[in-house]
Amino acid sequence: MPLRLQGQDYVRPAADLDRLVQELFAEIQSDEVAFEDVYETLLLYYQTPLNLNTASREELRGLLLLSETQISALLDHRQQLGPLLSLYELQSIVGFEQVRSIYRVAPFVTVQSGNQNAARGPLWQRILHEDNNALFLRYERGLQARRGYAAADTTSTGRPLSRYLGSPDKLLVRYRVSHTRDFSLGFTAEKDAGEPLIWKPGQGRLGADFYSAHFVVQERGRLKTLALGDYQLQFGQGLLLSSGLQVGKGAETITTLRRSSLGVRPYSSVLETSFFRGAAATVSLHKTVRATAFFSAKKVDANQQFATDSLAIYDTFSSGISTSGLHRTTTELANRKRLHEAVAGGNITYTSVGGDFAAGATLVGTHYDVALQRRPEPYNQFEFRGKDNLAVGLHYSYVLGNVLFFGETARSSSGGLGTVNGLLASLATNVEASILYRRYDRNFHTFYGQAFGENTRNINESGVYLGLKVRPAPRWEITGYYDQFWFPWLKYRVDAPSRGHDYLLRFSFAPTKTSQLYVQVRSRTKDQNADLTPSRSVPQPIPTERRSLLLFYDAAPSSSISLRTRLQGTHYRDDGATPHTGFLLAQDATVRLNRYLRLSARYALFDTDDYDTRQYAFEQDVLYAFSVPALFGRGTRTYALAEVKCTRHLTFWLRYAATQYRHQQVISSGLEEIEGSLRSDVKMQARYTF
Amino acid sequence: MLNGYLSLVSLFLSVTISIASAGNGPGVRGARAAALGNASVTITDVWAVGNNVAGLGQVSQTSFGFYAENRYLSSAFNNVALVVATPMGAVHTEKPPSRGVIGFEAQRFGNNLYAEQRLGLGYGYRGGQISVGGRVDVLQVSIQGLGSKRVVAASLGGQAELIPDRLIFGGYLYNLNQARLAAYEDERVPTVLKAGLSYRPTSKLMLNVETEKDVEQDADFKAGIEYQLLEALTLRAGFASLVEQATAGVGFKAGRFQIDYAAAWQSALGLSQHVGVSLQWAKK
Repeated sequence: MPLRLQGQDYVRPAADLDRLVQELFAEIQSDEVAFEDVYETLLLYYQTPLNLNTASREELRGLLLLSETQISALLDHRQQLGPLLSLYELQSIVGFEQVRSIYRVAPFVTVQSGNQNAARGPLWQRILHEDNNALFLRYERGLQARRGYAAADTTSTGRPLSRYLGSPDKLLVRYRVSHTRDFSLGFTAEKDAGEPLIWKPGQGRLGADFYSAHFVVQERGRLKTLALGDYQLQFGQGLLLSSGLQVGKGAETITTLRRSSLGVRPYSSVLETSFFRGAAATVSLHKTVRATAFFSAKKVDANQQFATDSLAIYDTFSSGISTSGLHRTTTELANRKRLHEAVAGGNITYTSVGGDFAAGATLVGTHYDVALQRRPEPYNQFEFRGKDNLAVGLHYSYVLGNVLFFGETARSSSGGLGTVNGLLASLATNVEASILYRRYDRNFHTFYGQAFGENTRNINESGVYLGLKVRPAPRWEITGYYDQFWFPWLKYRVDAPSRGHDYLLRFSFAPTKTSQLYVQVRSRTKDQNADLTPSRSVPQPIPTERRSLLLFYDAAPSSSISLRTRLQGTHYRDDGATPHTGFLLAQDATVRLNRYLRLSARYALFDTDDYDTRQYAFEQDVLYAFSVPALFGRGTRTYALAEVKCTRHLTFWLRYAATQYRHQQVISSGLEEIEGSLRSDVKMQARYTF
Repeated sequence: MLNGYLSLVSLFLSVTISIASAGNGPGVRGARAAALGNASVTITDVWAVGNNVAGLGQVSQTSFGFYAENRYLSSAFNNVALVVATPMGAVHTEKPPSRGVIGFEAQRFGNNLYAEQRLGLGYGYRGGQISVGGRVDVLQVSIQGLGSKRVVAASLGGQAELIPDRLIFGGYLYNLNQARLAAYEDERVPTVLKAGLSYRPTSKLMLNVETEKDVEQDADFKAGIEYQLLEALTLRAGFASLVEQATAGVGFKAGRFQIDYAAAWQSALGLSQHVGVSLQWAKK
């Protein structure tokens, strides 16, 4: 075994993204949120390490791992003593005394001196010689026969039953190369399970169902960023433009509350909505002023409806944009790219020299070629209607002593206002607190915004959030939040104005550098329509409470073995009814056999009364994939994952996962129905770096 | 008159929703406690006479306090209180009063349709890291047209410094004798047990958590934070989970006067406001 010499340079530890996700997301409670996209954005974000010597205050905040005091201390240190020489130097900065906080941030940052781009030759050579050129191939397939893939049949009325048109294989090809503050180039092609591979250029079908590509250059003098192809935008608090980096309410109760103005970012995820297609550029008008302009034109999935009433405002309209990105059946294919969407706008931001104060304005105009008009239900009364929406917003951010203030306020064409304002404060060296207030009118419309909130969209909500993080003793951390919210108008399945609150409390103990133990309680009370009974013939919202307990233990007894135990339970109760419970116990083990092979596996037992008490547990997956299945009923869940480093350039992942149900002869329903009690799937991925 | 009956109806609504307030319970005393989500069982100022009588033991100067509350912007829910505390025996600046502290309170809630009045006498003593206290209340409930009723309730409190100046425990048992208001439906003054912890990492910061359990209600979980931004200015925030109330407030120090303000938002009933003024009589 040759000894590797380690010089001044700190060897970056491998990023434990699973643990990071555990800390950032509290507990998944719904299938609506596109966690896959959030996770992937996070991964890509953390993939290119941030240079601590050039990073701005805003970029450091965007890491979500540093407190405002730590950021200020680092910037002061840089200003007084010049660039850091090595990551070890962090220990000498106030606020970084605890080795643990350095250990946490180390995988995601580097210490390099100056801008080395110019020294590395022209752009094409830099791209060619960049060491993170990577090509991914992924294949995935369910092993059981599902009804959607069976031979077509006819119903009793003689109409053919709907069937998936394609094979049950899921395919993904992705190429990406990037360098911090220099360039990013990428290409993605995806076919979901059930989607056909069709080559009909005349109909706009070119093999795979979804393609995405981007080319981004950064730091070309005054031109700070130029993006061509698919990109994302994040400005202010994300009220108008938000790029999928938001993690919302979680066990990290301080830093995730504020969104960072990260500007134009490349898009290489596979979520088939929530990105822009066109061009965007950021230029530096002055040392302190940056302006961004963008234009996007793309087709989105939507159904088409014709008015039956001759007095209707729109003869043809669409009752909603579909965001699933699935095109498996004739109906889904018919709605594919039905609607043309054009978005244009810009942002101008002033940042003071030290970065303490920033303020800016954002303008976003959206145009659809067919009017949008939701189904005429009372809860849709104030939803967006029409073809055009223009939204204008102002955002600010200011550091005063130990307190960071931030906020954004915007108005949409409808006259509806949205506002979100908050502060993060370091009250003592070991105590941080946060407060956030938001109010989104019932007629406030934003299509690409996703500011902090309880709802998945920023409409019909107001609320107050209080967060706290305390480290009462070394190795101990207590985090908690309390959030109270109101919905002034009706919602889907809530036929009256409603309200609710939720809180989280987590006690975390780290006995050693590599182990962690925590216990977490989370409770959420929210109004929801009660079941109709003879005595209750009108829909009436009643409070329903979901309370969860999580015990998590993560340890690495040796450098090659890591063990994780997870015990979680849920208690669900509505008005006076008998409570339902759900339970899950999972044991994970990861073994690194040698330099070439790493094996991970889980065995989990679950037992839940119903779908309301379903359990979600993060699972390890092939790199850049995300898995958190909803488990309900009674049974076991297992998976095994192998990571093989074949050569220096080629890495291979193989994963098998299975859910075995007890007392169940049929799994799922509709086209996804499986006969039997086993559902399993395989996933394979290869990465070639060059 | 109709208005009066309406407020009476909504009063009983508020009784069922917010146990910590009306209904002869221990209630809120002072805008400081109100701003902290009423997580006040470990506090040692003059308002301790109502929040946890054991806290009186550390009042080193004769102090007066006046407190007024308007709940949900309705005059029917006005609440006012006057408190006095005076140390007995020798008083040193570093030590608690050698013979303890006596406190007195007069309080009134409601209007002429429905009113609750109380006169309370309390005593607190501190020895070492432990404080204890006791209190007797004479409570009167009057409802127009129905007459009034008077009962006596006794309460006990304790506080302990688990880690001196850092971690403090407090407990308060209100109405341990379970005083009965009416034979009809065996209506009693609520018996309430409060227990909480206060963590003070620096002299400028206080974090409080507390649970409050009324025998006949679900447990309430409360938390509050107080931060002294400047010598003269203190910021506070808190919440209470059972009553679904978020709170915030400020405190000003002007010489011997301490002025506190708090606002509370109950999710269904809306805004309540609290103002408190206290005065330390003796010179420092």
